[in-house]
Amino acid sequence: MKTRSVAIAVLAFIGMVDALYLSIKRNAGPIPCHVTRGCTDVLTSRFSEIGGVPLSWIGLAFYVVIFSLAVFKVFEDPKHPLDWVPGSLFYLAGAALIVSALLVGIQAFILKAFCEYCLLSAALVLTMFLLAPHPGPRKLPQ
Amino acid sequence: MSKLLKPLIVIILAVAVAAGTAVYLGRQPDQPAETGGSAPKHVDIRGGGHTRGPENAQLTLVEFGDYQCPSCGAYHPFVKEILSRYPQQLRLEFHHFPLVTIHPNSMMASMAAEAAGVQGRYWDMHDALFEHQREWADSPNAEPIFIALASRLGLDTNKFMQGLRSPDLQSRILQDVTRGNDAKVEAVPSFFINGEQVHITLSMEDFVKVIEARLHK
Repeated sequence: MKTRSVAIAVLAFIGMVDALYLSIKRNAGPIPCHVTRGCTDVLTSRFSEIGGVPLSWIGLAFYVVIFSLAVFKVFEDPKHPLDWVPGSLFYLAGAALIVSALLVGIQAFILKAFCEYCLLSAALVLTMFLLAPHPGPRKLPQ
Repeated sequence: MSKLLKPLIVIILAVAVAAGTAVYLGRQPDQPAETGGSAPKHVDIRGGGHTRGPENAQLTLVEFGDYQCPSCGAYHPFVKEILSRYPQQLRLEFHHFPLVTIHPNSMMASMAAEAAGVQGRYWDMHDALFEHQREWADSPNAEPIFIALASRLGLDTNKFMQGLRSPDLQSRILQDVTRGNDAKVEAVPSFFINGEQVHITLSMEDFVKVIEARLHK
């Protein structure tokens, strides 16, 4: 689990940089695309915020939480293992994966434009979900 | 306590490093590239557009914009301010570039500006559309809002409403879009100064820097 937690922490760190970059660039003019077409179209669309809160901020909060959980798991005391962390990672990444799939769908079918930073985030979330172990059935107390 | 300290330090350090990296990357000059090749540095944009400022100005700032685009709305006060700071040296040439697939009211907003232009009030409507963008941008029926804006500007609303449905005015907007496509405009707002594409960040300081650099070229 330790290796997986380190890998998830690394991915979450990349996600933090991605989300912070978008948060900074959002108010700093047209956002350049290097691989895809239409970053500004996507990032200035009506889907780019929820209730006035930019999605990049929500993404940032998500990555900080995931990173923190993974780091706590890496540094856990073997005598008092944080057994609840893998499950939390799994369900958080799962929820984020559903949101990411929805956002990729919006880019593909409604906006017809893709933002490479958003696609990177979706790829990070998918990988984190695959790395996060399924918590499995809970053991009943003996 | 010390067991908590270690991960907390790692988390704080990581957030700080991520923030530093993002700020560093965000400050790099933007060089937008596309799948079809990089954007041209020099383009010939002649004709069309609406101009504001002296004909013989040393610099022409060409803007391709979309009235419904939040970024264009955010840039609008800076564009106005830079024109007032360089009243003799700079003129603005605005071209419509409505991103209709993501901004459903953008085409009608451009039509509203053109319809006001028929009555000689293009720039008043241009300013009003950006300044009141939040009021109409997400409206499922923006037309009454545009008519109210026209009325507030003292326009003949019947004539204005005819303008909103004028194929000639729509054709003028579509010509601007063609010019934008020819210039490989990929984002709005896109700025060109004397045919050279410039990337200006959302700050007065950067606008002044870019204009000063071109004035003393």
